[in-house]
Amino acid sequence: MKASSRTVGLILVLAALVALPWWSGDLYKLHLAALICAYWVLIGGLNLVVGYSGQLSIGHVGLLAIGAYCFTILAGTHGVHPALAVFAAGGLCAMCGFLLGLPSLRLPGFYFAMATLAFALIVAEITLAQGDLTGGGVGLSVPGFPKPFDTPQGSYWLILSIAAAVTWLTWNVARHTWGRGLVAVRDSAITAQAVGVPVFRAKLTVFVFSGFTAGVAGALFAVLQSYITPDTFVFDLGLFFFVCIIIGGRGHIIGPAIGTIVLTALPEMVAPLAKLGNFFYGVLLLVVVLLVPEGIGRVFELLVERIKPRLGESHVVKPDLERLAKAIDSARSAP
Amino acid sequence: MLKSTPARLVRLLALSFACLSTIAGAADPIRIGWLSSLTGPLSSAAIAENQGVQFAVDEINAGGGINGRKIELITRDTSGEPTKAVNMAKQLAFVDKVDFIIGPVNSGESLATVPIVAKANIPNLVIGTIDELVDSQKFPLAFRAINTNHQWIEAANDYAIKVLKKKKIAVIGDTSGYGTAASKVAQDLLEKAGVKPVYVVLVDPNKTDLTDELNKARAAGAEVIMPWSAATGLLARLFNTRGDMGWDVPIVGHPAMMAPPVRPLLNKPEYWKNAFAAGYTSTTYDANGKLPPRTQALMDKIRPKLGKGEIDFMFWWIALGYDTVKIVEYSVKTAGSTDPAAIGKVLEGTKDFPGVYASYTWTKENRNGYPDHAIVMNVAGSFKDGSFKAAPH
Amino acid sequence: MLVALITGLATGGLYAAAALTYNVMFSTSKVLSVTTGHISMLGGVFGAWFISTLGWPIPVALLGSIVVGAVFGLLTDFIAIRRVLARSDEHLWLLSTLALATMVQQAAGLWWGTEPKPFPRLIPQDFSAGLADQKYWLPIVVAVLLAVGLELFYRRTLYGKLFVAMSEDAFAARARGIPTGRIRAMSYVIAGAMGGLAGFMAGQLTFAYFALGLTLTLNGFIALAVGGLGSNVGALVGGAALGILSAVATYFVGGEYQQTISVGLLMIVLLLKPAGLFGSQSVRPV
Repeated sequence: MKASSRTVGLILVLAALVALPWWSGDLYKLHLAALICAYWVLIGGLNLVVGYSGQLSIGHVGLLAIGAYCFTILAGTHGVHPALAVFAAGGLCAMCGFLLGLPSLRLPGFYFAMATLAFALIVAEITLAQGDLTGGGVGLSVPGFPKPFDTPQGSYWLILSIAAAVTWLTWNVARHTWGRGLVAVRDSAITAQAVGVPVFRAKLTVFVFSGFTAGVAGALFAVLQSYITPDTFVFDLGLFFFVCIIIGGRGHIIGPAIGTIVLTALPEMVAPLAKLGNFFYGVLLLVVVLLVPEGIGRVFELLVERIKPRLGESHVVKPDLERLAKAIDSARSAP
Repeated sequence: MLKSTPARLVRLLALSFACLSTIAGAADPIRIGWLSSLTGPLSSAAIAENQGVQFAVDEINAGGGINGRKIELITRDTSGEPTKAVNMAKQLAFVDKVDFIIGPVNSGESLATVPIVAKANIPNLVIGTIDELVDSQKFPLAFRAINTNHQWIEAANDYAIKVLKKKKIAVIGDTSGYGTAASKVAQDLLEKAGVKPVYVVLVDPNKTDLTDELNKARAAGAEVIMPWSAATGLLARLFNTRGDMGWDVPIVGHPAMMAPPVRPLLNKPEYWKNAFAAGYTSTTYDANGKLPPRTQALMDKIRPKLGKGEIDFMFWWIALGYDTVKIVEYSVKTAGSTDPAAIGKVLEGTKDFPGVYASYTWTKENRNGYPDHAIVMNVAGSFKDGSFKAAPH
Repeated sequence: MLVALITGLATGGLYAAAALTYNVMFSTSKVLSVTTGHISMLGGVFGAWFISTLGWPIPVALLGSIVVGAVFGLLTDFIAIRRVLARSDEHLWLLSTLALATMVQQAAGLWWGTEPKPFPRLIPQDFSAGLADQKYWLPIVVAVLLAVGLELFYRRTLYGKLFVAMSEDAFAARARGIPTGRIRAMSYVIAGAMGGLAGFMAGQLTFAYFALGLTLTLNGFIALAVGGLGSNVGALVGGAALGILSAVATYFVGGEYQQTISVGLLMIVLLLKPAGLFGSQSVRPV
C-alpha cells in the first residue's frame, strides 16, 4: 500500500518531467530544466561521495571540464559518434577519479578537500596550456547530439533519461549494504572498519563512480553550452555543486535534488541574488551548517512527519495471539 | 511521428503568434536585449558601455522612438560567466522575445552565446574582439561593432616593425584565456610579417614579479616588449619592473596598458613613458588637442549624466555602447520593420554608417564592421578626459 | 636565476606566514580554517584603504590592519568554529569556514572592486634598489619574526604553555581547569593579527587584491602540509620550498604549469612522508 502510493507519486513526477516540453511554455525554461538535469548527473554521483561517504570534494568541476573537453574533442575534432564520445568522457573521468582518489582519499578531510581544489586548478591550467588540443583560451565549439536528439526537446529528453538512470543507480547504491556502509564510513571510519566495511575500497569505488557521472555530465553540459572555454569551468561551479548537496542534505537523494533545482533556478528568477552570486551561496551554506547541518531535506522530512505522523509502526514486541490460536487449531484438526 | 506532431503544433502556434504580433506591431516597443557583465571581474568596460547604451536608448525614446516605436531595453547581468550568459541569452531569446541582442561584453561569453542567438534567428551586435566570433555563413545575423584582435595586433606589430623599426620582439602574454589566445595570434602575425619573436612567455596574471621574464627578454636581445594581456595588475608590474631595472625598452601592445587604473599602480609616473598601445582615431586628440567632432558632440551631450569632473575611464566604451543602439535605430528605420531577415539585409549592405566610435561597413561576406584605418597607436600615459594622444610617427 | 630565488623566497615568506596562521588556529581547535588566506587578503586590502583613502600614517594603518585581522579571526571563531565544534560531526568546520571565506571574498570584491589596487610604499626607498627592494624582504622578515615570536610565546609565556597543553590534549587541559573556549578564541585573535600583519607587509608584492585569499589558503596549506602540520620550523621551510620551487619552475618552464608543479610537490611529500618534513603527527584514531 505504502510502496504503491510512492510508486504512483514517482510515476506522476516522471510523467510531469517527460511532458515538460509541452507545459513549460518556452525554450529557455526547457534549457534550464535540461541544465538542471545535466548538473544532477554530476551531483547525483557526487552525492555518494559527499553525502554518503563524507569525502568533501570541492573540485569536481575539474572532472566536469575533462568530460566536456573529452566529448568535444572526440565528437567534434575527430568525428567519433557522440554516444561513444559520451561514454569515453565518462570512462576517462572515471580513470581520472581513480588516479586522483588513489593518493588523496587516504588523506584526512581537509587535505582531501584541498587536493580536489588543487586538482580543479590543475585541470584549468592544463586546458589553457594545451592549446593545440583544447583550443586554449579561444575554446572549442561543441557538436550537438545526432538525430532524434538534435532539437531542444530531444536533447532534454535524452538528458532527462540519463539523469533518471543516474538517480536510479545512486538510489540502488544508497539503499543496499553499500550505502549503509558508506554512511558508516562518513560517521565513523573506525567503527565502519571494525564491522568489516572495506573503508578505502568503498570510498574509492564511489569516487570513481562519481568521476564517471561527472564525465557524462561534462559531455551533456558541453552540448547545452554549445561552446566551451576554460572560463566556463570556473571554481565557483565546483563550489556550487558542493553547496547543492550540503544544503539539500547529506545522506539523502531527494534533498540534493531539490537543492540542485532550487539553487539553479533561484538566481535565474530573482535578479538581485544573481548579483550577490557567491555571497548568497556562502550565506546559505553557513545558515544550513549552523542551524540544520542535516540539510533542508531533513527539514522537509520533519515537516512531513509532523503533518502525517507515521502510524502503525510500533516497535513493541508482542505475540499475535489470534494467529497462534489459529495455528494451534489447524494443527489439532489435522490428522 | 508521435514526437513531431506536438512539435509541429508548437511551431504552428508560435507562427500564428508571430503573425499576430506583426499585425499589432506598429506601436509595440522594440525590445533590445543587452547582455552586460555589470558585476564580476570584468565589469569596468561593461559599466561604461552600459552608460552609452542607456544614454542612446533614453535619447531615442525622448525623441519619440524609432518609427513611432519606443525602445524597451532589457539588461541582463551575466557577471562575466559563460554559463550565465548562455542562460540569459536563451531567456532573452525565448521568454523576452527580443528583436535585437547586444553583447555579451567579454569574448569568452560571446563565443558561447553567438551560436545560440544565431539559432534563434535574432540580429546580434557582437562587441567581443576574438576573431572566431563572427562568420557570415554560420551566424548570418551576427554583426561585429568593435575591432578584432587581429586589427589591434596588426596595428601594434606595424608600429613596432615599421615606425620604431625594431625586429627583435619579445611577446608576453598572460595565462588567462584571452592572454593565451591573443599572444598566439600576435606570434603568428609577427611570423607572417617575417619577424620571429626572440622571446615568448606566458605569465600568471597574479605573478608578483616580472624581473626574470624581462631579464630573459633582454638576454635574448629584445628591442621591443609586446604584452598581450588585459590584466591591469600584470601590466603595471611590467612597467614597474622595466622602470626599476632602468631598461628603456619600448612597450607596444594591448590597450589595457594605457587604461587609467594602471596609473596608481605604477611606482613612478614616468615609468609609463615610451609605451604605445592600440587605440582609435575617434578617441585620439589631433595636433591641436581636439577630438573628432562626432566624439566631441557625444561627450558634450553625455557629460552632465556622468557627473562632474573629467572622465576617468576610456571614452570609447561609451561610444561603442552608444553606437550599438544607434545601429539598431538605423537598421530598423531603413528596413521599416524588425523582421530579422530584413534587418540582416540592411546591415550587410551598410557602407560607412557614421557612428561615434567609427564608421561601420558590413558586406555579405564580411561581418567585421570596424575599419582598419580607424585604429591608431596611442601614447600610454597620455590619458586625459577619456581620450589619448597619438603615438609619434 | 638569482632573481627567481629571491622572488620565490619572498612569496614563500607569505605562504609561510599563512602556514603559521594555520598552525596557531590548529593548535587549540584542531581546525584548519579555509579563511586563513582571507585574513591576509583583508590585511592587504584594508592596509591600502587606510593609507591611500583615509590617509592614515603608516604605523597607524599597520595597527589598523592587525586589528582588522584580529577581529576577523575572532569572528571566525565566533561564527564558524564555536557552535560547530560543539557538535560531534567531524567536517562541519570545513563547511562553515568555507562558507565564511566565500562570503568575505565576495563582499570584498563588491566593496573594493575586482581590480588589484596599489599598495603604498612603507619605507622610503628608491625603486632602483633591485633585489634589495623592501617588497622582497619585508615578507621574508615578517615570516621569520612571526615564527621566532611564536616559538618564544609557546616556550616562555604562561599562555603559550596553555596553547601547547591544549594542542596536546584539549580534554585533559579542560579537566585541569583551563578555560579552553577562551584560549581558543584568543588563539584565533592571535592568528588573525598575524595574518593581518603578513597581508599588510606583503601588500607591495601582491597589490591589494580581493581574490588573493583562496590562492593563499591553498598555497599556505601546501607549505604547511609539506613542512608538517603543527611545526613552525616546518612552516618556514615548507613556505620557502614552495615559493622557490614555483619561481624556479616558472623560470624554466614558463607560467603555464605553476599550479601543477606546486601540487606535484605536495603529493610527492605526502606520499613519501605523510606527516610532512617536520611533522610529528601522532593521530589518535579512536
